[in-house]
Parts: sequence; structure tokens; C-alpha cells
Amino acid sequence: MAITDSAPPALAARDPERAERLRYRLYSLAIVAVIIAAWEIAPRAGLVSPIILPAFSQVAAALWSLVQTDFFLRHFSVTLTEILVGFVLGTAIGLMLGTALAVWPTAKRIAYPFVVGFQAIPKIVFAPLFIAWFGFGQSSKVVMAVVISFFPVLINTMVGLESVPDDARKLMRSLKATPMQTFRKVSLPHALPVIFAGVKAALTFAVIGAIVGEFVGASEGLGYLVELYNHQLRIDRVFAVVVVLAFIGAGGYFLLEWLDRKLIFWRSDDNR
Amino acid sequence: MTMTASIPMRGRGATPRPAGLGAPIVTAKGLSKTFKLGGSDVVALRDVDLEIRKGEFIAFVGPSGCGKSTFLNMVAGLLPASGGVAHVNGQPVTEPSRQVGFMFQTPVLLPWRTVEKNVLMPAEVFGLKEADIRDKARAVIDAVGLGAFVDAYPRQLSGGMQQRVALARVLTYEPDVLLMDEPFGALDEFTREAMNLELMRITQAAGITVLFVTHNITEAVFMSDRVVVMTPRPGKVSGIVDIDLERPRTIDTMQKQSFSDLIFKVRGILGNTHGDH
Repeated sequence: MAITDSAPPALAARDPERAERLRYRLYSLAIVAVIIAAWEIAPRAGLVSPIILPAFSQVAAALWSLVQTDFFLRHFSVTLTEILVGFVLGTAIGLMLGTALAVWPTAKRIAYPFVVGFQAIPKIVFAPLFIAWFGFGQSSKVVMAVVISFFPVLINTMVGLESVPDDARKLMRSLKATPMQTFRKVSLPHALPVIFAGVKAALTFAVIGAIVGEFVGASEGLGYLVELYNHQLRIDRVFAVVVVLAFIGAGGYFLLEWLDRKLIFWRSDDNR
Repeated sequence: MTMTASIPMRGRGATPRPAGLGAPIVTAKGLSKTFKLGGSDVVALRDVDLEIRKGEFIAFVGPSGCGKSTFLNMVAGLLPASGGVAHVNGQPVTEPSRQVGFMFQTPVLLPWRTVEKNVLMPAEVFGLKEADIRDKARAVIDAVGLGAFVDAYPRQLSGGMQQRVALARVLTYEPDVLLMDEPFGALDEFTREAMNLELMRITQAAGITVLFVTHNITEAVFMSDRVVVMTPRPGKVSGIVDIDLERPRTIDTMQKQSFSDLIFKVRGILGNTHGDH
């Protein structure tokens, strides 16, 4: 955000800020360039076997040929669908449960120990079970994505709604606001930054859930492709699929980040 | 004119009141509050009898734990009394009311709303049409000196300006009684003085009755018609001092001997009770 502290933002302050941001972006690019160069040189110079680490250019070529095939597009859309459906369902469930626990103390008292206990279980162990229950198709992967991703949304929704300052609650009470008015006008917007942090985590978790589900048992999807190419020792293609998955995760994250800035415009940069 | 207070006066008897003071608007009879703390009872406030007239400006001073905020919360209907009863406009207080506005030490603004939208928030809660109250809101925002900032967001404003927004928010719905719980406690001395002057000017013009809690004796004497002095353990009223300084009051008022005398008098009551515990 351009607006900073109490005073109206000084125009002069913007340009050094921009220059500084540019400088750090250049540093990041330099690091990427160094990594790519090392990645290219190491296999070619015989420092590592190309079977273990194919050169960057080989991976790029594999990626380029792969993304042009209908075959790849099919696997890509299978996994993308699993991630998106899992993420949306997980977020919705997390929002509803988190709100219920925050506004209804009895529900929290009863359910909270189970929620925490559930979170302590490494949920990846459910993957084989979900395959048995929901089959080899997409639904078992969606369930896996939901089960991993709803929790950060639940916790952050609950914590965010509960962290409304006492004076704000008191103000609404002094106005005789209904619980619904207090929720909509004060609690929910107040909790939104915290909720959004949970939603961002949920997206990352949904990607993990879908891929883990595919690793355990699937006949299509990007996780399945990684397994397949690994067995075939087509490591360049393994890397190519990994790059695609990285783009899905990062792309979704930056989309949410952008939405966050648009939606929660009042948040100052220092508590982002 | 004589002022009625069922509390025994210390020192001074009846004093001339400024013109325009009306019938009693806030009364407390035997108002008490007891909190449970680890199985034992803690008396936060004991037997307060008080009668406040329409248009009066009353300050409550005393150290922490003297029950001044507790008293205010009970008059606001935010805290149930353990004993006794408070009346506002002749009605016993059982819950918050639109006739009573409350202002806190923190401005409690909603950071996602502009100044104007913050000021209009109570109207939304009351179910009023924005168009009906918008002119009123603008006028009040002008009156507190923020006319140029209607579209600003709270974090673009200084602490004093934010508290002005909070004042505009409560004044817009025209309460008869304004309860203020250390509203300027977080402000620097210069801002506080400016806010004192403006608060006096605005509330007097609107004929609003003000109950003002503070632990700043100077501020209390400067603005009030009466200062209620409270002491802790148990929280109670130890004395009431009439402030017969003429109005309108300005910074020059603080130079007067009578002003210093009144501060000395308030301190005296606070000091006397230190020996009690």
C-alpha cells in the first residue's frame, strides 16, 4: 500500500521505495540465474549423473514437448480439478466450522478437543483408506485435499472472529446491535486478514492432498505422471511435471495474494 | 437556582448553576456493584446516590479501582447493577439505549470504513436510511473540524483526529446523555486541551448532558459543572465539588486563582481518604 502512517503519504517517499523494490527483485533474479547456470553446468561437466539430474535445457525441452500433447493436458486438467474442488470445499467447510465454533461457545467446548486431536493425526495416512472408500478416481483425491486443507481455514476463522477487540464489542452493545449486525459489520471484516492467511495455506495443502492421493493410487493426473516417469527413469519429464506443479501452486498463491490486497485494502504493510 | 444532590456536600452548599439546566436526567439510587473474585466478593462500587440535571457536565475523578468506570457502565446499561438502580429520562436502566451514547478511551473506528461511513455506522445499526441522516453526519463532521477528511480512512488520521471521528459518530445520533470513559487519556497534552475546548463548545451548544470519567484533575475541573471525587477499596463517592467558574471557559480560565483553588480542593478530598486504608 502506498499510504503509510498517520500523515498523508509524501509523494517523494514513493520513488526510493520503488527503487528499493526493484533492487531486491534484481537480487532474486540473480539467484535464479545462478541456480539455473549450476543446474545446466553440473550434469554436463559430469559432476552429477544426467539420470539423477538432467541438465536444465533437457528439462526445458521435455517440458516444452510435453505441454503440447493432448495427453498431458488431460492429466493436467484432472489434477487441477482435484485441487480446485478440494480447495473450495475445504475452505467452505473450514469457514463454516470455524464460524460455528467462534459464535457458539457450547459447540466449541464440545468439539474443540476433537478438532485439535484430528489435527495431530498425520492425515496422509488416510490416503490408502480414501482410495478404498472412494475408489481410484478423482473423488478420493478431492477428499484427501479437503481433509488436509480445511483445518488452517477453520483455526484462522475461529481465532480471527474471537480476536475482535473488547471495546468494539462494547460499542456494538451500546448501540443495541443484533448479533448478526455485530458479526457482519465488525467481527467478519475484522477477522478477514487472519482468515485469508488460512485460505492461502489451504491452497498449498490442497495441492499436497491431491498429489499424495494420486501417488497412492491413480490412473491419471500429474502425481500419477511423476510416478510413471520415475519408474521409466525419464527424470527430465519428472522434473517437467514438478515445474508444472510448482506453477500451479505459485500461480494460485499469487492470485490469492492479489485478491487479499484488493479485498483487505485497509491492512498496513507491517502486519501483512 | 439550587442544585440538588442527595450526596452530602463537602465544603460548599448550593451554588448558582449556569442558565438552562433542566430537570434531573440521570439519577442513581444506592447504585452498587460487587464482583466475584476467586470465591470472595469484591465491592467495586458502594451505594452511589447522585442526581444529574439536563445539560450538566459532570466529571468523575479518582484513582484506578474507585469504581468510576463501573458507574458509567451501569448507567450505560452495559453492566447490571448488584444493588440500587439508575434512571435515565425517568426510565430504569436495564439495557443500552439510543438516548445514551458511549465513548471509549480508544476511538474504536472500523479501519475498512471512511470517516463518513464510520460516523454513519450507528445509523445503519438503528435501521435508519442513510439519506435521512447524511446531512446531519456531514454537519457533525464539520463541527468536529474534520470536514476535509470525510473520505479518509482511520489510519490516515492522527490519534486526536480519530477520537474526533468517534465523537462525531456518537453525536450524530443525538443522544441526550453522553458517557465518556477517559476519552482523551491516550492523547498528548496539547491535543487534549484542544479536545477539551471543543467538547465543551459542542456539548453546550447541543445541550447534551455529559458524564466524563478521567483521572486528570485539571481536565475535570476545566470542563465540569461538578466534579465527583471517588476513592477505591471500596469504590465510593467521597465528595462532590461545584465548579462555579464562569462560561465560556478558555485557556485563560486556567490562570485564575479560583481555578487553582478548585484543583486544590479536589486533591484535598482525594488525599483525605488515603488514610482510610
